[in-house]
Amino acid sequence: MGAIGVRAATVPLRGAGPRLRAVLALTFLGLAAACQDGPRLPDARLSLEETLSGADTVGYARALAPRPFLFPADHGPHPDFRNEWWYVTGNVQADDGREVGFQFTLFRSSLAPEPREGASAWGTNQAYMAHLAVTDARGGRFHAFERFARGAAGLAGARAEPFRVWLEDWSLEGERRGPAPGPSGSVGRDPAGGNRGDLGRSATDVFPLRLRAGEGAVSLDLTLSEGKPMVLQGNAGLSQKGPEAGNASYYYAFTRMPTAGTVVLGGDTLTVTGSAWLDREWSTSALSEGQVGWDWFALQLDHGWELMVYALRMEDGSAHPLSDGVLVGPDGGKTDLVWGRDFTVTPTGTWRSPVDGSAYPSGWRIEIPGREMELEVTPTLPGQELDLAFRYWEGSVRVTGRDGDRPVAGRGYVELTGYAGRRPER
Amino acid sequence: MKLLRRASVRYLLKHPGQLALSVVGVALGVAVVVAMELAIQSSREAFRVSTETVAGRATHAVTASVGGVNDDLLVRLRVDWGVRPAAPVVEGVASSPAYPGRALRVLGVDPFSEGPFRPYLAGGETGVDVSTLLTVPGGVVLSAGNAREAGLTPGDTLQIQVDGRVWRLPVVGVLDPADRLARVGLRDLLVLDVASAQEVLGQVGTLTRIDLRLPEGGEGDRALARLRERLPEDVRVEATGTRTAALAGMIRAFDLNLTALSLLALVFGMFLIYNAMTFSVVQRRELLGGMRALGVTRREVLAGILREAVWIGAAGSAAGLVVGAALGRGLVSMVTRTINDLYFVVSVEGLALPPGVLVKGGLLGVGATVLAAFPPALEAAGVSPRVAQLRSAVEAGARRAVPRAAAAGAVLFAAGAGLLALPVGRPGAALTVSFAALFLVILGMALMVPLGTVALVTAARPALARGGGILGTMAARGVVTALSRTAPAVASLVVAVSVTVGLGIMIQSFRGTLVRWLDGTLQADVYVSLPSVQASRAAGTLDPRVVDALTGYPGLAGWSSYRGVELADDVGPFRLVALELDPRGEGSFDFREGGGDAAFRAFRQQGAVIVSEPFAYRRGVHVGDTVTVPTDLGPGRFPVAGVFYDYATDQGVVMMARATYARGFRDEGVTSLGLFLPPGADAGEAVTALTARLTGDQAVVIRTNAALRQGSLEVFDRTFQVTAVLRLLAFVVAFVGVLSALMALELERGRELGVLRANGLTPGQVWRLVTTQTGVMGAVAGVLAVPVGLVLAWVMIYVVNKRSFGWTLEMEVGAGVLVQAVLLALVGAVLAGLYPAWRMSRTSPAAALRGE
Repeated sequence: MGAIGVRAATVPLRGAGPRLRAVLALTFLGLAAACQDGPRLPDARLSLEETLSGADTVGYARALAPRPFLFPADHGPHPDFRNEWWYVTGNVQADDGREVGFQFTLFRSSLAPEPREGASAWGTNQAYMAHLAVTDARGGRFHAFERFARGAAGLAGARAEPFRVWLEDWSLEGERRGPAPGPSGSVGRDPAGGNRGDLGRSATDVFPLRLRAGEGAVSLDLTLSEGKPMVLQGNAGLSQKGPEAGNASYYYAFTRMPTAGTVVLGGDTLTVTGSAWLDREWSTSALSEGQVGWDWFALQLDHGWELMVYALRMEDGSAHPLSDGVLVGPDGGKTDLVWGRDFTVTPTGTWRSPVDGSAYPSGWRIEIPGREMELEVTPTLPGQELDLAFRYWEGSVRVTGRDGDRPVAGRGYVELTGYAGRRPER
Repeated sequence: MKLLRRASVRYLLKHPGQLALSVVGVALGVAVVVAMELAIQSSREAFRVSTETVAGRATHAVTASVGGVNDDLLVRLRVDWGVRPAAPVVEGVASSPAYPGRALRVLGVDPFSEGPFRPYLAGGETGVDVSTLLTVPGGVVLSAGNAREAGLTPGDTLQIQVDGRVWRLPVVGVLDPADRLARVGLRDLLVLDVASAQEVLGQVGTLTRIDLRLPEGGEGDRALARLRERLPEDVRVEATGTRTAALAGMIRAFDLNLTALSLLALVFGMFLIYNAMTFSVVQRRELLGGMRALGVTRREVLAGILREAVWIGAAGSAAGLVVGAALGRGLVSMVTRTINDLYFVVSVEGLALPPGVLVKGGLLGVGATVLAAFPPALEAAGVSPRVAQLRSAVEAGARRAVPRAAAAGAVLFAAGAGLLALPVGRPGAALTVSFAALFLVILGMALMVPLGTVALVTAARPALARGGGILGTMAARGVVTALSRTAPAVASLVVAVSVTVGLGIMIQSFRGTLVRWLDGTLQADVYVSLPSVQASRAAGTLDPRVVDALTGYPGLAGWSSYRGVELADDVGPFRLVALELDPRGEGSFDFREGGGDAAFRAFRQQGAVIVSEPFAYRRGVHVGDTVTVPTDLGPGRFPVAGVFYDYATDQGVVMMARATYARGFRDEGVTSLGLFLPPGADAGEAVTALTARLTGDQAVVIRTNAALRQGSLEVFDRTFQVTAVLRLLAFVVAFVGVLSALMALELERGRELGVLRANGLTPGQVWRLVTTQTGVMGAVAGVLAVPVGLVLAWVMIYVVNKRSFGWTLEMEVGAGVLVQAVLLALVGAVLAGLYPAWRMSRTSPAAALRGE
């Protein structure tokens, strides 16, 4: 899953673009010290060592070992950790067949390990960034927006109960009215045991969720209902990203949430239904030396299975050994996959960014030999690069292929970081 | 043609002194105008740049009447109403030992909101580290210039004082934008996070304003209308330009006065030039006549003289620009200081040298010279070859012109007076008309000077004859018989001297009025306020514990409290004052209208207000009218019970009882206190005892009545420094004028004196004759300058000041100023006679007679 740390490390600072945004984004990550002097080359990039230098993590909590998840608290913020996000992607369809992909992400970042002291309600060490992207398949258009705000004075923030994360009028919140059911809620439905914490209430008590965000002529108002149970990624929710202790995140996901609502695109208001995916992840540092980026796939197949795989890309283009994935069955049961052994991902095409000609892979073949699963993944639109303070490609994809003998199709989202600003191969 | 040019050059080279004085005359005039213009423009430019830098790209600002807008409003704007972009701003003023005597602007912002408004504060290469700024309480970002000046780098501490409280702010960044304008605008600006700024400025929970960027055209208008419907009653949204313009408008009258005064200097310069050119033409009549006889046309003579004028004007202007730029450097700090004292905080970094001002100064110098040379040039061209030889013809003509000039002068004077008497519409617009009228009046009086000269000299002849015998008579007659030369000299002298008289009387009257007013107003024995960099206004909020500690002092007979807040209406900014008035303090108001017990009853019990004279003047308000004041509950209407004299601020003051204020504003602060002691108590001892009662961390200034009075007068004197400098310059110009005119006059009479010497006049008698003659002219000029100066002063006091600032001054004519004026003219004149007398007395009559 796209880690914000990865993004910071790999997204180039474009001297030609609005410097402010790039730097804002970096300061957002507490990396301002790294970019204080000198003009930047168009392809200048921060080294991973800079991103992960020890000084940045001093005073923060680290993801060192698996932990019990506690709900509803863990839906809310974890300010002891430096970075955190609520990451929603999904594909919906209007009655007339028009397809829309959407991404809504709220990033939280602690600018200092300790809360700021002082009398003003504006005082805080919490900063928020939000991304909204909408893919209009029929119109062939891709819209992306971003916002920044401090986590104070009501401008932006996150809270567990009642659940709400927001940045200005972009928000994701729990719609359930009245007191939530007690601990007995939906215990035992998840064979993997991840659906609830050892204490507290079920993770799914937060549903239904309401997602509202818009800018200009594009807006979303969607209700995300309880679908598949919660999936704890990695080792019981500890997702190791680098070999060093602590270079890991806590990570859970809802891989399939029935979604309905309205999407406004230009002058059209569409009534839509479809399904969405929520990733929740928090960490203080995640990447290790030599890792430059990230290819991440979240696919929902029409026979009730979901596939999530990611590759941590090294300088030379190879995948880091810690790259892995998970296959989620119709009942929510999960099967862990190891890169190279259990599955392979092969790019089948290339797309060049109109911004600077950076080359991204575009189209993949994913094979899981053990299940005889073969999937062709095709971007709904080739150009789904978010040309924001952090530049990366994240977009809606279509899937066709087979699972054993059975033909399958599906929709999904793919995220590609660490390509922007890299010189096209000669 | 070539011949004419060579003759012209030779003539000027043969009379280098005269040439030099002409050039000096132009130079001085140009220098004063340019210097003043530069000083004004620099301060204005600094204000504009700093305002624009701070306002950034905001199109509108949301503000509240008193105490700023609530924090919540920003959230409502951005989260609930989707009004974006919208940036919170907290502003205030601080001082720091690192920058002594300077007012520092504190700007509190949210860097995350700054991108669309002030990109240089949103982080990046300009040096703002957003993380540190947000998370370090009190973290301050300095401009590179300020950091260098105080030797501060990130990690150091900057000590500042706000409302008497000392803060040590960690320096977390240095702003060094590549844009030069932004650099200038950032001078003396302390950038803090909005949270730190609220804490340091004592404004937790409120924002000074919210900046907005609304789209242009219909969409923006609709957004604005929608917003206005939603905003609470006491909150306004206005275009940024309107706000800036209102502030800039505060100093319009002040600027215009300085500009007009500097133009007066150019007018003396023109007289000097006219004088010099007349001389050089008159002296060359024979030469010019000869040339005309040789076939040189009138047109060529005219062109030749004007060409000379252009060269003299160019040389003088060039010198004037250099001197003006140097002089401007001195004036700009005075102008800035006054603006800071009286109006708003502005910080000027060096002198701006806009090419426009320099070009304007140069053109003004050359243009004025050519204009002044035109009459003599016309005269020279008009000379017929034969008559040119006859000096008497010229003088006869000049004498015939005296009544005509006086009549023309009278017409101009009447026109000027008529203009002044015209009913005025808006006070500001009338100011230009007033100054134009003033120039007409001066010009008119100058044209009447020859008549006055003839009359005075004729009247004085018997006395001179008695005192100086034949020499006295000759001296007196010489003035009248050489009227073509003496009249312009005396006229220019009169104008120059009268300006020093006029300005002198105005300053004196103002100061006298202020002293009397202060004596009446400062009725309390001890005054308490916060230390402030802005001299003329008490600002900030006293700690309630300080108020309690001081008003609880057992040695008090009573006390008044004062709360001053800055507000604005359609006319402009004004100050609203909430008074908790001790009955002993009632006598401190001197009412122009209304007042008395009934007024105070209405003031205390019926929610009436009293307004200052400038407020009433600008808004045409009288007793019985109502004034509208924006309150927390929306616009409030208050009846006016009195109009009182006030010379503390020309922006206008509205005073209401504290109880009235409490109904309209959620503000319990106290800005300053007036403490009354029992009769016979020693104020000095009380100050010591009161100071001992203070325990908190807020530094306050506790002053006796006498100390406050003294302080106020110091501010006044500082304010009038610029005017005093202008007066001094007028003085210098006048002196040079006397010197040049009279010296040229006497030198020109060399031949005449030669004849006298040949007829037996001793060198000693030549001395007496020459100095008596210049002395007579000086005395005449001095005497005539007195009434002219008085008229000038009267206009400045009762018309210009009233229309500029709205206050009534009492004209006060001190003998000192008048004596000074006459002495200036007399001494200058006698001194001017010394050199020609010395030269004449040494020259042998034969040599003088040999002539050309």
